[in-house]
Amino acid sequence: MTPALNILQAALLVLMAPLLRGVIARLKARIQNRQGASIFRPYSDLWKLFRKQDLVPDTASALFRIAPVILFATTVVAAAFVPVLHGGALAGATGDFILLVYLLALGRFFVLLGAMDGGSAFGGMGASREALVSTLAEAPLLLGLAAVAILSRSSSVQGIVQWTLNQDFFQLSAVHALAFTALTLVAIAETGRIPVDNPTTHLELTMIHEAMVLEYSGPSLAWIEWASAVKLNVILALLIALFVPWGMAAEFTPAALATALAVYVLKALLLAGAIAIVESSVAKLRMYMVPDFLGVASALAILAVVFTALMR
Amino acid sequence: MIHTAFISFLASLLFIPAMFLLFGRSKTARIATCGLLLIFMALGAVLAGAGFWGGAGVGVDLSGVAPLPFVLAVDRLSAFFLLLICSVSVPVVLFSTSYVERHYEGMRRQVLWALLPLFIGSMVVVVTASTAFAFLFGWELMTLFSAGLILIDGDEGERRHSIFIYLLMMHAGAAAVVAAFFLFLGRAPGLDFATMRTAAATMPAGLRTAIFLLSFVGFGTKAGIIPLHLWLPRAHPIAPSPVSALMSGVMLKTAIYGVVRFTFDFLGAGPSWWGYLFLAAGALSGVLGVLYAINEHDLKRLLAYHSVENIGIIYLGLGASLVFLTHGAAGWASLALVAGLLHTINHALFKSALFLGAGAISDATHTIDIEELGGLLKRMPVTGTAFLVACCSIVGLPLFNGFISEWLTFRSFLAGSTLGNVQAAIVLPLMAGVLALIGGLAAACFAKVYGVAFLGRPRSSEAEHAHEVPLPMTAAMVLLTMACVAIGIAPGFVLRPLGAAVQGLVGGGILPDAAFSMARVIPWVAIAVIGFVALVVALRRAARSTVTWACGLPGLNSRMQYTSTAFSKPLRRVFARVYRAERTIEVSPAGASYFPAAISYRSVRTTSFERSLYRPAVDAIVSASYSLRRLQTGNIQVYLLYIFVALVALLVFVRFA
Repeated sequence: MTPALNILQAALLVLMAPLLRGVIARLKARIQNRQGASIFRPYSDLWKLFRKQDLVPDTASALFRIAPVILFATTVVAAAFVPVLHGGALAGATGDFILLVYLLALGRFFVLLGAMDGGSAFGGMGASREALVSTLAEAPLLLGLAAVAILSRSSSVQGIVQWTLNQDFFQLSAVHALAFTALTLVAIAETGRIPVDNPTTHLELTMIHEAMVLEYSGPSLAWIEWASAVKLNVILALLIALFVPWGMAAEFTPAALATALAVYVLKALLLAGAIAIVESSVAKLRMYMVPDFLGVASALAILAVVFTALMR
Repeated sequence: MIHTAFISFLASLLFIPAMFLLFGRSKTARIATCGLLLIFMALGAVLAGAGFWGGAGVGVDLSGVAPLPFVLAVDRLSAFFLLLICSVSVPVVLFSTSYVERHYEGMRRQVLWALLPLFIGSMVVVVTASTAFAFLFGWELMTLFSAGLILIDGDEGERRHSIFIYLLMMHAGAAAVVAAFFLFLGRAPGLDFATMRTAAATMPAGLRTAIFLLSFVGFGTKAGIIPLHLWLPRAHPIAPSPVSALMSGVMLKTAIYGVVRFTFDFLGAGPSWWGYLFLAAGALSGVLGVLYAINEHDLKRLLAYHSVENIGIIYLGLGASLVFLTHGAAGWASLALVAGLLHTINHALFKSALFLGAGAISDATHTIDIEELGGLLKRMPVTGTAFLVACCSIVGLPLFNGFISEWLTFRSFLAGSTLGNVQAAIVLPLMAGVLALIGGLAAACFAKVYGVAFLGRPRSSEAEHAHEVPLPMTAAMVLLTMACVAIGIAPGFVLRPLGAAVQGLVGGGILPDAAFSMARVIPWVAIAVIGFVALVVALRRAARSTVTWACGLPGLNSRMQYTSTAFSKPLRRVFARVYRAERTIEVSPAGASYFPAAISYRSVRTTSFERSLYRPAVDAIVSASYSLRRLQTGNIQVYLLYIFVALVALLVFVRFA
């Protein structure tokens, strides 16, 4: 029963990821007084791309087409680490947050390489910028996660979630507040949202992720788009699971699971709304301001770790 | 049986060089001797494997033929390092059979072939020695043979200066090591390791601290920790590539061996600042090493700086282990030490693969400046794939061996939060952030290296017309990278014996079960990722090759690609304080800002350490020497006066002292 549920949970994160994107786009459109596309639009985009033929630059090597698939595979495996409906996940017990972070890094490394295989200026430009952002995001990401792991005395994602489930929300310490803020800032950088990167821009002065994938088309582009949607979903699910897991099913009855799903969808919608509001009201940062942005995240994460030792 | 094998293995490292010198003129004899060397290296690996996995100890006492006690013995720690030496030497020798034949001829080739086994042999002596004399004998020869191997390529201009700095710093380091040994003389006159171990336990704290500091500086110089790293980025790149692989992959590790022997085996737990000193050295070397590497586009210099970085990561593990020892957490000390030692062998495997890859690149394109390369993966598919695996390993990505050791280091840092001491509980977890920063920077650096050298368009006609290197060279790289993947996916087979090997070094601490949790999950991750990718690649339709859109221009050329320098620019700008680059831009004629006749741009890339630490020291020594020179008047009466004054002073001393 549990393995089936865990697979379903991971599949949910993967399959619902385009929907989350659609919802965010729709919410943004409404905030900006536009009609906006259907929330199912990302699915039809993916379907369209998957049916096309792949176009590969004549200078590119075999790595160019493998990189997007590796990105997708590692992101999907990362999805198996995060509890959504109950306090467990497929790889949640033995897979710890360090592996989760580095699986995402593995995928990103290959996309960086794929970008540089295109042989044009844009790929290198995007890869260089992405390398900057991801390099500086890595330390606050791991430290923020380490802070909550230290509190719960467990390094597996599942262990942290189960510890938090047994706590009272109002008794959570300052460590949680600091770590949550740090990780939210990092999540924005990692998923390439405003104010770090703008997923809808194609202006060479500012684009990061879009510049990297500019030479991709057809199914390869579809893998990348889907993977980045899944990554956004996984990171949001991780934030929810680590900081506000309450509402997860305690027993495996249909009613409890349905409630857990409803509660989860509500939390995800709230986060999507927050993203839409931020993206509609905040301007994108200059690229050389991003290190300051991530510096704030690093400082908060360091404080969170220091407080775990001082407050016990 | 095992005794005979060990003796014949040691003897082979003496008679094989002689064979190269005597019969090395004929190609058949050379190839046969190479085969013999490979067989004996494999024998050494088997012997070491028996010691490491089976715990079979072996020893040989050569004190009869040496002026001082000279005993070689293999315990589990020695077996681990012997395994490291032999398992890296086999591919390096295999690579050399082709590389040396293609690039050297005549006497030079014979000498190179003779020095290679001697160099390996000196390292074998270092890690198996169980008396101070044997250790120092090997230690000194190791420096000299490696310098000889660098000199094979000549000593013109800059090279002579680099070799001089190498020898100078090695001897300064060796002096500290010798001094550390001599401090034992009062309590362990024979200077054999067993009595030194027992003697150290009853030493006064001041003496222990002196030994600790001397060994830290002595071995730290050899390991290349910052700020003692100055020789490393100079000496490693100018050696022939297989020798660079041995120097970076293996020789640096003998310093790790020395520091583990001294700090953990002889001295044991000390005050907590010992651990913090290691952590500080590790953090500094790790972060600065990788930052200096990002600044480079000479592939071998870049790899040399990454050796500094990886030694830093190893030191982080050792430091964490020392902190745990101080606070009595033997289990976690064992985990952290295993992390450091595992990273030692991992770095040996992937760094020698990378240096051999650099050798293959220079063989195919006659350059190792990555700004001149590009598109090599299409032209050299086996080298390219092996290099990619090695890159993923050094970056510490999951499914590759670097991840396992870095994960263990992370795990031990997190465990620091369980210590009762508040200082340790803050410092250790924060080190996880340092390690993450190092990992992120390394990923950026190797994305640059691989992307610029192997992907995209070739940037020179040499790169465009490159061909795959011969089978022995590719086979050597594939062997090393297969080991990287094996440890990356199934680390348990190395972790268990490592746990046993360090048990005696960390006060009997048993490797906690947490060390194996990654071994349980990573095979499934590997199956999922590799299976999915293989499935998609097998099922998908063929792609259509087309020309990249050039924004309407007639076509893209290689100069429109991002260069290595451009790629690293954002990071160099963010970390500008580290580089403190000195740039001068001269426009001539002066003031003609719009239509200048010539613009010259110069940027100096000496590191801040050279400018603010070494340069003043060298200046001080030189000016002191100048003032001492006034004593040398050349006038014989003055020298007679010196002798007279010295005589009187001595007589006064003898009378009153």
